Amino acid sequence: MTTKKAPLEDLNVIVSGQGGDGSLTVVNILADVLRNNGLRVYTERDVLSRIKGGITAANLRAYKGEKLTISSHIDLLVAFDQLAVSKYAFRLNAKSIVVYDSSIGELAAESSGLPSGTRMIGVPLSRHAVKNFRRDIYKNSISFAVIGRLVGIGDDALRVAFDKRFGPRGKQMLESNLLALDIGFSLAEEAGLTIDDSLYELDEKDGYSSEGGHMLITGNEATAFGFAVAGGKFYAGYPITPSTEIMEWLIPWLPKFGGVVKQAEDELSAINMAIGAALTGTRTMTATCGPGIALMQEGIGQLGMGEIPLVIVDAQRSGPSTGMPTKPEQSDINLMVYGGAGDFPRVVLAPGHPEDCFHIAVKATNLAEKYQVPVFIALDQGLSQNTATVDPFKLSDVEIDRGKRMDADTLASMEVYKRYEFTEDGVSPFSPPGTRGGMSLVTGNEHDEFGLVSVDPTNRVKQVKKRERKLESMRPELPRAVTYGIETADIGFIGIGLTYGVILEVMDILAERDIHSQYHQVRTICPMLEETGAFTHRCKNVFVVEYNAGAQLAKVIIANGGNESHIHSILRYDGVPMNSGDVVKQLTERLGIKEEEVA
Amino acid sequence: MTKTFTPSRPIWCAGCGDFGVLHALIGGFEELGVAEHERFVIAGIGCSGTLQNNLSCYGYHTLHGRVLPTATGTKLANPGLTVVGVGGDGDGYAIGGGHLMHAFKRNPGVAYIVMNNGTYGLTKGQASPTAPEGWQNKSFKAGGRNLEEDFDPIMLGLSIPGSTYLARAYAGQPAQLKSLVVGALKHSRDGKGMGYVEVLSPCVTYNDTYRDWRTSVYDIDSEGGYDPSNRAAAFSRMSELREEGRLPLGLIYEGKHPALETISLNDELPAPALHDLSANQFQKGYEEALQSFIK
Repeated sequence: MTTKKAPLEDLNVIVSGQGGDGSLTVVNILADVLRNNGLRVYTERDVLSRIKGGITAANLRAYKGEKLTISSHIDLLVAFDQLAVSKYAFRLNAKSIVVYDSSIGELAAESSGLPSGTRMIGVPLSRHAVKNFRRDIYKNSISFAVIGRLVGIGDDALRVAFDKRFGPRGKQMLESNLLALDIGFSLAEEAGLTIDDSLYELDEKDGYSSEGGHMLITGNEATAFGFAVAGGKFYAGYPITPSTEIMEWLIPWLPKFGGVVKQAEDELSAINMAIGAALTGTRTMTATCGPGIALMQEGIGQLGMGEIPLVIVDAQRSGPSTGMPTKPEQSDINLMVYGGAGDFPRVVLAPGHPEDCFHIAVKATNLAEKYQVPVFIALDQGLSQNTATVDPFKLSDVEIDRGKRMDADTLASMEVYKRYEFTEDGVSPFSPPGTRGGMSLVTGNEHDEFGLVSVDPTNRVKQVKKRERKLESMRPELPRAVTYGIETADIGFIGIGLTYGVILEVMDILAERDIHSQYHQVRTICPMLEETGAFTHRCKNVFVVEYNAGAQLAKVIIANGGNESHIHSILRYDGVPMNSGDVVKQLTERLGIKEEEVA
Repeated sequence: MTKTFTPSRPIWCAGCGDFGVLHALIGGFEELGVAEHERFVIAGIGCSGTLQNNLSCYGYHTLHGRVLPTATGTKLANPGLTVVGVGGDGDGYAIGGGHLMHAFKRNPGVAYIVMNNGTYGLTKGQASPTAPEGWQNKSFKAGGRNLEEDFDPIMLGLSIPGSTYLARAYAGQPAQLKSLVVGALKHSRDGKGMGYVEVLSPCVTYNDTYRDWRTSVYDIDSEGGYDPSNRAAAFSRMSELREEGRLPLGLIYEGKHPALETISLNDELPAPALHDLSANQFQKGYEEALQSFIK
């Protein structure tokens, strides 16, 4: 059978099983192989807050072009647990292929709720894993042979990928997994799968492309990396899903750049350690998610009053309280924008994709030091943990601006040094402790220009206004929105984080039907820039797409000059990532367009 | 010389034990030649948390209870600073109590001086964690009797293997107070870790304990055969003295354990606070990090 095969343009895969079955590992290796075939990849996880058990899944999309979202339709489902087949049946159609573990018996498409005619490939993965290795986990390595044959990855390319993945974990680990792969190849042959039968023709099916050179990175990693390149030298944090990879990335890397990472006993300690470091003039960051931000509130107010610079990452997850720890949400927007006792300036930045995370992290680190304020980076579980291929970051673009930082010589030339001096731009000069001549007091109490506690009403008002002025001073430097689509279109989208890829795909679907739209990818949500309100006036129908129940982003936009009568909210808070099909459906319903005209 | 803030006069009541601590600390800085700009005094919330305003230094007034995490962050970022944490018993043992065990465990090179008066002075005399069982605020009887046992931080410190310098002083005995504060400063500056001194510092307004403490303090420094390097013996002796109703003063324990900053930082590079970020020194390292996402 040697019909001409299609090149791989867009492939969507779900690998699912019990937690601990290694679904994520399979997807990660697959992503690595495919991205070295000149493809872009995007992966997403659907896991539970437990180490083992429960049905979990990892999704992968490999494509040409720009996607950054998983499609509504799945081409290939790999199920280590037969329950996964019925769980994901609704995303399959008659063209989909299901590879499942047939160790406990054969499975018919119809009985699992699949369209009849769905190609079902049963392979006794678990039985062979246990028989050969006495360990069930090897089923995922065995499954690779079958996946490779279907997708069109050459046997040798898989061996190279295994070598890369398991090589660093020791010889025995590598040999066992390679053996599992060989067992998989014979099982694939038994199931009648040869490389000639593959669905696609890959450019480099026998090995790695010498070209490509894309980074494969998560938003968490890109944020951590951006902080490091911006001269970040101190990180304190307490592990919490889905922010932990930020700390995990920084632990090996930051010391190479003269920095230090400290795991604290709780978030109260984390933010105060960070404050302690920031007070020395060290560029400092902490990362957490909603529950941690809640604990850090007092510290955030302290940053505001003390004018202490700090970057705080909120990898938002489903709330309130412990919520659904592994699920995406964007429901801390109010907490970041309005949280804390008293009035103080703060900045909230919201990147849309990993490359944006890198640049926003650099920007946040500069803004925090220059304007001596807390700067939040609003991520969400999806942006934080999903991986995507991106072009290598341009490190040479990174600029560092330390603001009004004093040294001993400058101080010596000054008649008087006041830590909280009233200035036109609201920013007072900072003398790092240890600098001769700059002795000063920093406090969370209201204070006079020297930092001495004061309840004088005139001074109070002047200090509040001085702090407030910083927001106006920094405005021209705040990250502007990026606009996609047709600038004259009546339909507009606004969304942050995980909604980025979905909105772009929705726009593509609409464009195919000659429905024009534009996307205002807002990147500064506090203080909100005029451009965002203006966008909601310019477009007649603005869909603010968010992962929360309260339309938090839309309300911030409305509070800052947005046109409420033009705004429609598309909200999701069930813990499931949006897909373009659902968003198109909601949009067409609201606009009274017949869906078949679109989909 | 550049004019900076003028240290203010203490807000404390006449006779407050905290005056003794302020003098001991200033004396200690002078004795060890710690220049004003090298001092970083981190103070908690409460009467004692205003001490940094009363001397020339870089000073920071923390959130209530957060002296130790702050000081730990400061020392890790810039170990060249002489970092001193000061605060009260409410700040250090109640709201900040959770951090105390972690600080003993981590052993950062900071001096930590707690002014213990057994009560909350600024909020008018509630029981603190060190108030004895049965204690009552004499001027506010409706506040009720303290039903809880008191907390002994030295015993806590002794029970944590990372602790390296545990001392107790009494504001009414300034010579010993100063020598223990100097010892703690030296300990912390010499890369040996946290120098912890609890100072019995009476609150003349809400809990005037001068008379009680004068009779119940016990000088362990002058006890023949007492070995402050023997943790088990120290624990045992502290338990005995406690049962006898005595308040042991002196250097109770001194041990060896590397200071946090000496084992946490990359010693081939400047400390985190001391980098010249315009130097572009890590371009190669950043490139290596970037490549790690490609390969």
